[in-house]
Amino acid sequence: MPRVSAIQPTDEELLARVADGDRDAFGDLYQRYARAVLGLAIRRLGDRGRAEDAVQEAFASVWRAARSYKRDRGPVAPWLYAVARNAIADRGRARTEPPAEPTDTPSDEPGPPEQAEQSWVAYRVHRAMEELPETERTVLELAYWSGLSQSEISDYLAIPLGTVKTRTRSGLRRLSEALEEELG
Amino acid sequence: MSPRTPDFFDLVGDEGTPEELGQLRRAHDMLVAAGPPPELSPRLAEAPGLQSRSSLLPRRRRGAAFLLAAAVVASAFGIGLLIGDRDSSGFTQSRAVPMHGVGQLASAHATLAVGEQDSAGNYPLKMTVRGLPRLEDGGWYELLLSKGGRPTLSCGSFAAAAQGVTVRLSVPYDLSQFPKLFDGWVVVQHVPKQRHAPLVMTT
Repeated sequence: MPRVSAIQPTDEELLARVADGDRDAFGDLYQRYARAVLGLAIRRLGDRGRAEDAVQEAFASVWRAARSYKRDRGPVAPWLYAVARNAIADRGRARTEPPAEPTDTPSDEPGPPEQAEQSWVAYRVHRAMEELPETERTVLELAYWSGLSQSEISDYLAIPLGTVKTRTRSGLRRLSEALEEELG
Repeated sequence: MSPRTPDFFDLVGDEGTPEELGQLRRAHDMLVAAGPPPELSPRLAEAPGLQSRSSLLPRRRRGAAFLLAAAVVASAFGIGLLIGDRDSSGFTQSRAVPMHGVGQLASAHATLAVGEQDSAGNYPLKMTVRGLPRLEDGGWYELLLSKGGRPTLSCGSFAAAAQGVTVRLSVPYDLSQFPKLFDGWVVVQHVPKQRHAPLVMTT
């Protein structure tokens, strides 16, 4: 079960408010998902500028389609992923430049099914990180995305090494529970 | 250069049942595979429609809105962009300057919105920063103008939290002097009892 504090509405509550035209709720939902959707768009389109266009179109689609979301069909994350993926695909089809000439050598790049799987996992990881308590998210971001060792994190945050390890384990456990619920 | 991949057992040790370690390992592998999320540019700092209602217009009307947006010109203000937008609190943003973390805080990022000069000569600033950890023991961050990468004039102090914070500041300096007197912005970190204030963010 994703961690949601008492004062934070769930994604489902936010989307219900978006469906009623609540712009504040839309802003909150955007802040929760924008980086994950941008990551998805960059992976799919390979171009930052077009990816940013796609993100704006994706959230405009979320605004328009919020009423179509049915809570009993599942959580918001996969619904929003599908809406975003469609907007990104539209942006991909809208490209005007001619496709590059195919090369003769086989590519090491993953194929479309693998890319789709990687995109979905990254999207969910980035979204799940937003749900973690700040203390746990900070140590995970510093360890995984800033390259700091545990002792460097301890020094940097001025907390005991044991606390860093405890928060790391706790954060990973919470992340795993949040992700396994949806990723299986 | 991407950060090194942390070793799983360095992070969590080897204590725990195989099931528990397996659970942690799956989260570890997914974090490694996902990599860091991209930073949001100033353009994406807020939801479409909160910046401008045009983004929520039907497609057939968005073309005209796009042409209007395309007329917006990049300013000579560092690497900032002219935006010209008023938020619900009355803050009118004229420029948005992206900032990024350095060194151990390379994943931090910020958007510094510069408002219009008031009648007394002050420039309001609204800074949304993400990825800077909250500092223990009364530590704080300071935003400064810079010249050649060196901090010059203080623009105010703030506390931060890794999940993000928006702070409002005001400076009396003549920001129209960019880039003559200043050519950027930096954030330094202050820790009580430490004389050195390391630079943690820059434009």
